[in-house]
Amino acid sequence: MIEIRGLRKILNGKWVLDGIDLEVHEGETVVIMGPSGTGKSVLIKHIVGLFDPDEGDVLVDGMSVPRASGREIGVIRSKIAYVFQNSALFDSLTVAENIRLGLDPEICDREPEECMRRVRESLTHVNLEPEVLGLLPAELSGGMQKRVALARSIVGRRKYVLYDEPTTGLDPVNAAVINDLIARLQDEIGLTSVVVTHDVESAFFLGDRIALLSRGKIQALGTPEEMKTSDNPAVQRFLSGRTDLTRVA
Amino acid sequence: MSGGVPPDERSTDPLAGGHERAEDSDESTAPGPAWVRALGRFGIAFARHAGRSAILVAATVGALRHPRRYLHETFVQAKRMGVDSLGLVLLVAALSGAVLAQQTGYQFTTLPMWIVGEGVTSGMITELGPVLTAIILAGRVGAGMGAELGTMKVTDQIDALRTLNRDPVVELIVPRVLAGIIVMIPLVVLANAAGIFSGWITGITLLPMSTHQYVYGAKTIYHSAQLVLSLVKAVAFGFAVAFIGCYVGIQAEGGAAGVGRTTTNAVVSIIVAVMILDVLLAPIYRAVS
Repeated sequence: MIEIRGLRKILNGKWVLDGIDLEVHEGETVVIMGPSGTGKSVLIKHIVGLFDPDEGDVLVDGMSVPRASGREIGVIRSKIAYVFQNSALFDSLTVAENIRLGLDPEICDREPEECMRRVRESLTHVNLEPEVLGLLPAELSGGMQKRVALARSIVGRRKYVLYDEPTTGLDPVNAAVINDLIARLQDEIGLTSVVVTHDVESAFFLGDRIALLSRGKIQALGTPEEMKTSDNPAVQRFLSGRTDLTRVA
Repeated sequence: MSGGVPPDERSTDPLAGGHERAEDSDESTAPGPAWVRALGRFGIAFARHAGRSAILVAATVGALRHPRRYLHETFVQAKRMGVDSLGLVLLVAALSGAVLAQQTGYQFTTLPMWIVGEGVTSGMITELGPVLTAIILAGRVGAGMGAELGTMKVTDQIDALRTLNRDPVVELIVPRVLAGIIVMIPLVVLANAAGIFSGWITGITLLPMSTHQYVYGAKTIYHSAQLVLSLVKAVAFGFAVAFIGCYVGIQAEGGAAGVGRTTTNAVVSIIVAVMILDVLLAPIYRAVS
């Protein structure tokens, strides 16, 4: 389980996150949605230790991330895969080498055949052909790069996956493909996922629960149905895309 | 990239350049004239970079105990830096030797012509060979490292390494720093040789000087301590080129424009550092030897 308790974070003199409490239970997909620039990516980066909170705590399976030692953070990160918004593939490495980075290097040193088998297996999960293994990221389309990033996130069979704006920058067709992949991976592998997005359609498609992050706080948290029927003004504003609630009919 | 290990100590992250920025004081309410505030800002920035550099040096040294993780990449980087820079280094060294020979011959007209051999040999081995090689590598290698790592920083690749439980210092910094030190030594030796050879050709072609005079002058001035100084400078400058290129690169922020600034900053910083080291090394070596 992932637990975020009283998380506060200041960046450039501003409280970006101002008291976040959130639990992500095993097997579920929690979507964190909200307008751009509200700190959604900052929030999930705390889970994997890329940021340290100014106040509060983040726990992964009971281990405090900000208080973890060097070895402990390695243990925590071995449980979590992170899919970056721009895929973050390494330009000088082939697709195969990029995906292999998601595996424990000891496995690849000891059993290179097993290593490659798992790389190919993860490629199959994301509907890519083996022919792409020798290509460089620059030779792939945006959608293909995203799928390689997804493959890298699942090859290591990690327990949790964090998705940072997985469909941003993709055309509607590729965005739907990525959403389908995420949902299918959730069903087939049984991952626990946290998805950050400002795409309402993706949020309602993927989420078991949806949290609306705005002005540094979680304004609402509930199932997709609860969010659709919520009378919370912040939720209504975001879902309707209106900036002034008084203009709602 | 080969395998990596998570950092042992979760103290200050040596690569945490951009995420957490120290809050600057509000300029509009700070007391004192503008030049004092500018001096203060410079002092704070200098201290910040000195601290971060020291932390990165410590992390780099600490990462050396995992040779299996970086040796392959070190050879890849060494090939890229050394072999690909050799032609330009030899060309510039040869031209420098030629200029040095000409100027020595033209300026010291009242002295015997073997002064040309003395001047070129001493000048190339103790100064021009190492310094010019370092400056060439600053532009060719240091700028490239700054741009490469800067791009990796702004596209989250360095953060991705961390999330994949790979230590960016082991994967990115150590191979480049080691490669920089390793390749500078043969490059400087070859640059020295090219400059001395070119000086000889220039001397016997353009000056009233014989080969015997040139060799006599070179032998007279040459001492093994000069070669040791040249090699010490090679190691120091090689470290400066690679380390500063990497350090500046991982501080990049602000997308493509930020990477552009990083590239410029890397070259300027390396050249300044090389010149400072050059000034410091000679008297230190003289005192020690």
